[in-house]
Amino acid sequence: MTDTSSSQTSTQPTMSRREFLRNAGAAGFASAFLGLTPALALTQEGGAESGAIPIHSVENQIYSVCLQCNTICGIKVKLLDGVAVKIDGNPYSPWTMNPHLDYETPFVQTGTVEGAICPKGQAGLQTVYDPYRVVKVLKRKPGTPRGANQWITISFEQALNEIVEGGDLFGEGKVPGLRESYALTDAKVAGEMAAAVKKILAEKDEEKKKGLVEEFKQTFAAYLDTLIDPDHPDFGPKNNQVVFNWGRMKGGRSDFITRFFRDGFGTVNTHGHTTVCQGSLYFTGKAMSEKLVDGKWNGGAKFYWQGDIRNSEFIIFVGASPFEGNYGPPLRVPKITEGSVNHGVKFVVVDPRLSKTAGKAWKWLPIQPGSEGAMAMALIRWVLDNERYDADYLSAVNKAAAALKGNPTWTQAAWLVKLDEEGQPTTFLRASEIGLREKEPRPLSTDPEKTYDFDYFVTLRNGIPVAFDPYAESEADAVFGDLWVDGVTLGGFKVKSGLQIIADSARERTIEEWAELCGLDAKDLVEVAREFTSHGKRACADIHRGVSQHTNGFYNVLAWYTLNALIGNYDYAGGLIKATTYDYTGGKKGQPYPLGKMAGGKMAPFGLSIIRHDAKYQESTLYTSLPKDKRYPAKRNWYPLASDVYQEVIPSIGDAYPYPVKALFLYMGSPVYSLPAGHKLIEVLTDPKKLPLFIAFDITIGETSMFADYIFPDTAYLERWEFNGSHPSVPFKVQGIRQPAVAPVVEEVEVYGQKMPLNMEAVLLGIAERLNLPNFGQNGLGEGIPLIHQDDFYLRMVANLAFGEKEDGSDAVPDADDEELRVFETARRHLPSSVFDVQRWKTIVGDALWRKAVYVLNRGGRFQNFSKAYKGEQVTNKYGQMVNIYQEKTYGIKDAMTGKHLYGYAKYIPAALDVTGKPVEDGPDFNLRLITHREIMQTKSRTSGNYWLNALLSENTVIMNVQDVERLGLKDGERVKIVSASNPDGVWNLYNGTKVPMIGKIKAVQGMRPGVVSFALGFGHFAYGGVDFEIDGIRVQGDPRRTRGFHANAAMRVDPYLGNTPLLDPVGGSAVFYDTMVKLERA
Amino acid sequence: MADEEKSMRLSRRNFIKIVGVAGAALASRRFLGGHTAAANRPRVELPELPAPPANADADVLLRMQEELARALKKPPSERRWVMVIDLRKCVGCHACTIACVAENKLPPGVVYRPVIEKEIGTYPNVSRLFVPRPCMQCEKPPCTPVCPVNATYTNEEGVVVVDYEQCIGCRACITACPYGARTSDFGYTYTEETPVADGLILGRERADDYERASNFEYGKGYDRPGDHGSPIGNARKCHFCLHRLHEGLLPACVTTCIGRATLFGDANDPDSLVAELISKPNVTVLKEELGTKPRVYYLV
Amino acid sequence: MKSELNLKKVIYGLGAIALAFGLWGFYLRFFVGERLVNYGSYVVWGLWVAMYLFYGGISTGSMMIASLDYLFGIRLFKGSGKIALWAAVVTMPAALVTIAMDLGHMERVWKVFLQPNLLSVMAQLVWGYSIFMVVLLAALWLVIRLESGKQDARPWLRFVMGVGLFLSIFLSGGVGALLGVNASREAWHTAMLPAQFPVFSLLSGCALMLTLLGWFAPADEKRPQQLRALSIGLLILLLVKTYYLWVDYSQALYAGTPVASEAVTLVLFGRYGWAFWLLQLGLGMVFPIAFLLSRRFQQSPFWSGVVGVAVLVGIAVARANIIFPMLSIPELEGLAQAFTGPHLNYDYYPSLMEWAVTLGVTGGAALAWLIGVDYLPFLKIKTQEVAQ
Ligand SMILES: Nc1nc2c(c(=O)[nH]1)N[C@H]1C(S)=C(S)[C@@H](COP(=O)(O)OP(=O)(O)OC[C@H]3O[C@@H](n4cnc5c(=O)[nH]c(N)nc54)[C@H](O)[C@@H]3O)O[C@H]1N2
Ligand SMILES: Nc1nc2c(c(=O)[nH]1)N[C@H]1C(S)=C(S)[C@@H](COP(=O)(O)OP(=O)(O)OC[C@H]3O[C@@H](n4cnc5c(=O)[nH]c(N)nc54)[C@H](O)[C@@H]3O)O[C@H]1N2
Ligand code: SF4
Ligand code: SF4
Ligand code: SF4
Ligand code: SF4
Ligand code: SF4
Ligand SMILES: [Mo]
Repeated sequence: MTDTSSSQTSTQPTMSRREFLRNAGAAGFASAFLGLTPALALTQEGGAESGAIPIHSVENQIYSVCLQCNTICGIKVKLLDGVAVKIDGNPYSPWTMNPHLDYETPFVQTGTVEGAICPKGQAGLQTVYDPYRVVKVLKRKPGTPRGANQWITISFEQALNEIVEGGDLFGEGKVPGLRESYALTDAKVAGEMAAAVKKILAEKDEEKKKGLVEEFKQTFAAYLDTLIDPDHPDFGPKNNQVVFNWGRMKGGRSDFITRFFRDGFGTVNTHGHTTVCQGSLYFTGKAMSEKLVDGKWNGGAKFYWQGDIRNSEFIIFVGASPFEGNYGPPLRVPKITEGSVNHGVKFVVVDPRLSKTAGKAWKWLPIQPGSEGAMAMALIRWVLDNERYDADYLSAVNKAAAALKGNPTWTQAAWLVKLDEEGQPTTFLRASEIGLREKEPRPLSTDPEKTYDFDYFVTLRNGIPVAFDPYAESEADAVFGDLWVDGVTLGGFKVKSGLQIIADSARERTIEEWAELCGLDAKDLVEVAREFTSHGKRACADIHRGVSQHTNGFYNVLAWYTLNALIGNYDYAGGLIKATTYDYTGGKKGQPYPLGKMAGGKMAPFGLSIIRHDAKYQESTLYTSLPKDKRYPAKRNWYPLASDVYQEVIPSIGDAYPYPVKALFLYMGSPVYSLPAGHKLIEVLTDPKKLPLFIAFDITIGETSMFADYIFPDTAYLERWEFNGSHPSVPFKVQGIRQPAVAPVVEEVEVYGQKMPLNMEAVLLGIAERLNLPNFGQNGLGEGIPLIHQDDFYLRMVANLAFGEKEDGSDAVPDADDEELRVFETARRHLPSSVFDVQRWKTIVGDALWRKAVYVLNRGGRFQNFSKAYKGEQVTNKYGQMVNIYQEKTYGIKDAMTGKHLYGYAKYIPAALDVTGKPVEDGPDFNLRLITHREIMQTKSRTSGNYWLNALLSENTVIMNVQDVERLGLKDGERVKIVSASNPDGVWNLYNGTKVPMIGKIKAVQGMRPGVVSFALGFGHFAYGGVDFEIDGIRVQGDPRRTRGFHANAAMRVDPYLGNTPLLDPVGGSAVFYDTMVKLERA
Repeated sequence: MADEEKSMRLSRRNFIKIVGVAGAALASRRFLGGHTAAANRPRVELPELPAPPANADADVLLRMQEELARALKKPPSERRWVMVIDLRKCVGCHACTIACVAENKLPPGVVYRPVIEKEIGTYPNVSRLFVPRPCMQCEKPPCTPVCPVNATYTNEEGVVVVDYEQCIGCRACITACPYGARTSDFGYTYTEETPVADGLILGRERADDYERASNFEYGKGYDRPGDHGSPIGNARKCHFCLHRLHEGLLPACVTTCIGRATLFGDANDPDSLVAELISKPNVTVLKEELGTKPRVYYLV
Repeated sequence: MKSELNLKKVIYGLGAIALAFGLWGFYLRFFVGERLVNYGSYVVWGLWVAMYLFYGGISTGSMMIASLDYLFGIRLFKGSGKIALWAAVVTMPAALVTIAMDLGHMERVWKVFLQPNLLSVMAQLVWGYSIFMVVLLAALWLVIRLESGKQDARPWLRFVMGVGLFLSIFLSGGVGALLGVNASREAWHTAMLPAQFPVFSLLSGCALMLTLLGWFAPADEKRPQQLRALSIGLLILLLVKTYYLWVDYSQALYAGTPVASEAVTLVLFGRYGWAFWLLQLGLGMVFPIAFLLSRRFQQSPFWSGVVGVAVLVGIAVARANIIFPMLSIPELEGLAQAFTGPHLNYDYYPSLMEWAVTLGVTGGAALAWLIGVDYLPFLKIKTQEVAQ
């Protein structure tokens, strides 16, 4: 033991943590001998250890992607002796370096370079190494009710057999297994049925519709027992009675579950959580991006825009707090701080609460919650009245015209819209309707052999009607129209221009009146509008949840995006941009593994989803089966424009509307905790009659999974694969890869003869094995290509990504050199062979692409270089489409509650309406408006066991203005209970004998709009390792640190009509967080 | 934990104690002329830093890292490490606090760099201020002269360090620090109260490796044993991440600063970012009136 | 005589209980560790440091009193010197043990001797107290020789007592300096602070002697005189102390700057304001001053003892009130909320273990003193000596 560790270098791969310690000890020894005092030996001055900190070497780092929140920052996981000991930012990722390193930067140079991540990202170790992680299958102890929190551990095989075959699993009678619901297995029949159903739905005549249903029954007589209800063939097959519902889901895994549940099992019921999050942003985005496909509005993308704030000179953040949440701090903050301090960028924050973002803003506008749309209308009005809009941009009615002016996008500002008798805008005027130009047969996009009739649209050019094709590209077809068209009648049709409709809508009130609605000063609004229009395209209004999660969310969002359209900032540096990602699914020509097509067989799921999305109430057989006077309002709302309506899934199961459900799988979501009025779900979840089988994938026993029949442990984010996509504010084309970085803590299991960690994929593979699904197993990826391990799927995705999107391979990444290969393997030496096995991996990827795949994996994904992101004043990765500020499709929808047409344009709708459109009025007792926000150190559930973060803020508070505290005779620091009209007791009733009150301490501040109270998300847990539970008869103690604070979602208003669902935005689908009136009771 | 390792560690400690007794002949190091520095100790081979991205100004992190590499080429006594915190850019994210906790494996109750939050003004004219508070690395530190055993002192690079093996845990230095920058390690771990329950859930014993792992502070492997070995029982403080500096990395709180508010470098290098910033009129230090001469500057 | 005996029994009993409680405290301190304390990183020094100062004060104060006999040879105090000296001898270890408990690494105390930073007040105090302890033992040894009739010890004793007196003044001042050198702690950082401490020590010594003599000395004719003398001394010292308190607090309050006034406000009106008003001021000052001013009670040995105890309690609280409140003010506003965790608290109240150890040490010292006085032959207070 006389040698010192100075001979050890960081590049020695085999040096374990223990050896290292020993060597470090030896150094202390040796220097002591040299006559130095211990002091010198034990500080850096001893010097012997310098250069020997192993975690600074890429050999002890794996680059991946964070999932502590959904910002998906690139990370590097630093490992010591196989244990993740530190997480830092991946410098290749545009999220953590500003700008990020060029992709070609030699990997070995990056060991000591790290980007910035937020405190949650830093604390991720505590999520992965959470002592409360479940590691084996937990089954609800037979004889105990759901939610009793008594469990038994059972083997993986037994668990799979039970859920597949069903039986008397809990001593409560027979539970239907999955096999029973896997009724329709013939894809061809399914396809035929789907086509027949489509015809039924399309039939407008009610009698004929009935006839078609009868016809259906005859045609498919042999298969009627596979249907949920033969009288309603549009419900689809029994397969639909299995529902997969997810919270946080990323690419790769989403493809895996689609492959299993839709293409394999054949259910249409796979629903995400979008509407709890920022639903109406997405679905307004979808409506604004609908394209004309084969003459119909279709192909809208579920997406939204955010600002390219790196290049903005002026930003209005509305209901968005990039310093605290908002996809998110590491990604967006440096652009704002460096922009405002170094380059004089001004930003305004419109938020009832002085968020950290607002706290640093040029202007904080503490708006009255729910009036965001009104503020946008005020700004629109000022911009229009003062002609500060970009007329060049707006007057271009088609692509060609836009291109002439150098614009990638265009709008319907100058299109003519027909008005109804009351002068209300309806659909666009078509050229054939006024004899301007005949319809024109054009080939169908789906089947070029067939044609459809294309009808031209109409604009006025200096008062003269001109027919145009919105997508015409040749310069000759470029058309610019008049922006202001009012009081014009063409061929018997009263028409207005799109912009005129918007202007009329904005002129419903004066700027002062709008300001009054917002509780703001008109002067401020004018000042903001002037600034907004003073920076060309380098200004934007960047909006988020505070705009979308209202009952009027859809129209709020539409109004703000319309405002952006007035300056035409879409696709411009500093304006609004969208996310762009590399294809990993093999969807591009030439990619080595077209996974969507690679299948031994595939189902064609069809039918109405349990949340009735993408379907029109009036077309359904349910509608026609009701007597005419009972049709409105519908029992529950329908969502023709939205999907992934989180708050609909479980209540619809509870109401068995439109049909009952047999089994619910819940993946990485906690609707009970995260939804407004989530407590209402417990009533459904605890009732096996309403929901016979409830299966959850989770990493701990959470607030929702505690009610499950089975909890399957999952691999946590540092133990698994995912492809993370991007966020709208990222101008670069990217695809970050989450890859196994630490050895999974869960049990190892065997499926299809393969060892693998027990996680979501293992479970689905295991079910597939038992049900013999054609797109899994030895020929799962096509003849002779097995899909028997998750790596079979994900590694091929890596290969696709490495290959790139060009058929000739010219877009491929470089090969990893020998050193990179060596480091790659060395860094994974701690992973078990069921996770990492070079030979296995190489075989799956294929020799040809192996080095490229390693190149991608070493860098934690694929990221476009900074220099490629901008072309002149515009971003390279463009939206490049029409920005629908007037939406014919939206207008075409009739509300399922009122039967009335929706508005197709920006319009102020007051907030806090119930699903039938009636104002929710709880009376003067409820005198404070409840809102919610996030603190940077917490997310919903995942971080509540992150003890480092608890140290920053151990409990949340009831944040309110000092004036309110005094007015109500309360005191700072006093404990109060939050009570609302729909939760007068102010408690979470867990239906297991426990009631958790919503009591918090008041924090009196100046930075809050009087009349409004807010609470931070992530506290007040009542499961998640916070309370005692029992496994195999042994009591496991909960950790009270995890339950501190309160969670006031249960105080959020239940929709008075629906009774078991929060207030919601009936158009955009948003669950509503900010429109509840509460009162505070001294506790 | 391997027994062997444990006994190793114990014997090391005992040995050092013995050596310490013998070395007592050296009596007070202060009287012997302070801390002689091993100026010619072997230098770390710094890895080559990546080039900045094409057609763009590099992230300020990269720039500072290059300056750091430059400074490391100089003899230690010619470096003057300073930290500059731009309060206009600090967004109160606390990433630095936690990065520091994670980097140095700080146990409950020990914190080197909290971020203090303040609200300024009255409704509706209100703003927020966030003040990160690392150790000021005072040029005239009140904390070192009070130490009865010279366990804390200013090293040759101007960083105030604590010699964990020397410290007796009297906390005189903590009392003396006007900035509350020192905290005492009482030997907790964050997971200690969690159940073991092995076989049912992950359990504490399979979960706590990360917080017991070596923290590399001062370039040493201080892991966290169950017994009372240092740094448990010691006063602890921010050390400008010397262990990282010497391997070419910026302090953990700097690299993870999402606001790019915390800047670091060698003020003796006239071309460094920090040298440029601390010459501006908007520079201030905390409690200037005390004359402690902090090496942590704030921009307002 | 009978009541004296009963009192002794009571004190023996209480001492034993306290010691037993203390042993449990020591057990916890050694086997569970420092985490059971309530002081921490913000309120750095707690009950133990306060008690260290308290015992140190008593010890040095007792030395001062003893010097009345052995150094200055004041006739009135003839024979009481050894009681005082013995008190100093038993309280000094109490001080050292208490402060040792406060160290994160007790096993490294040797470093203070072998690798000290002698410019640190802390080191100076450790050295000083250690030398003082040696001096005490030397004095004790000389006293034993003297008691056994070896008169050659007398000049040596005088010399040693001289050194002892010097040390006791220096050391009590040093305690003040330990706090005073903390420039950022406004209320400590006054030259007055070190200067006050010798007075406090003497006051402690006086008070203790009053109790010891009042309760345990033979009821000879000298005792009333001694008690009167001590009482007058005590009264003067109390008045001086009151004056100091007034100066300190009024200065701080008038200054009005938060750093200066906050600590005082905390003492007066904080959570433990009652301790100031009831114990420090009421019991420790007002009661004894009032009591001593009314000559009627002056002669009662029992009540003299009570006064002594009251003053001591007042001093103990005063020590605490010098230390804790100043530490209870965040160095930077908002620090307490910025990061939370065990021992990151500005609100201090001693933990059970801290109380246990403190009580144990007090009990131990009391027992040691009594046992010494009762069973060590050379400490027997001989009546005839008094009669001389
Ligand atoms: N009061 C309030 N409530 C809110 C919000 C708010 O601002 N305020 N925000 C809302 C928003 S934006 C959203 S997106 C929703 C999110 O709501 P959800 O999507 O429902 O919640 P998550 O927190 O993402 O997921 C929670 C569950 O996933 C489990 N989990 C964590 N990691 C893993 C894993 O690796 N695998 C598996 N299988 N499970 C895992 C956790 O244990 C937990 O049970 O919350 C909403 N709720
Ligand atoms: N720390 C942290 N970061 C996260 C997450 C997390 O859980 N924790 N989750 C991620 C996810 S899933 C999402 S969706 C994003 C969400 O990111 P954001 O939408 O930016 O965050 P929120 O906190 O939901 O709301 C933003 C702001 O809206 C304000 N607000 C509340 N009510 C109203 C209102 O009625 N009107 C207006 N104008 N403003 C209002 C809140 O005070 C808050 O400051 O954050 C992501 N980042
Ligand atoms: S913002 Fe923080 S928690 Fe969210 S992904 Fe990024 S580093 Fe992770
Ligand atoms: S706690 Fe340690 S470093 Fe601080 S003064 Fe005491 S011995 Fe010195
Ligand atoms: S801030 Fe405190 S601990 Fe740091 S050098 Fe200055 S006095 Fe010492
Ligand atoms: S420099 Fe290092 S030790 Fe100091 S606060 Fe920053 S991270 Fe912590
Ligand atoms: S990481 Fe930077 S921005 Fe965040 S709190 Fe620390 S200094 Fe401020
Ligand atoms: Mo979200």
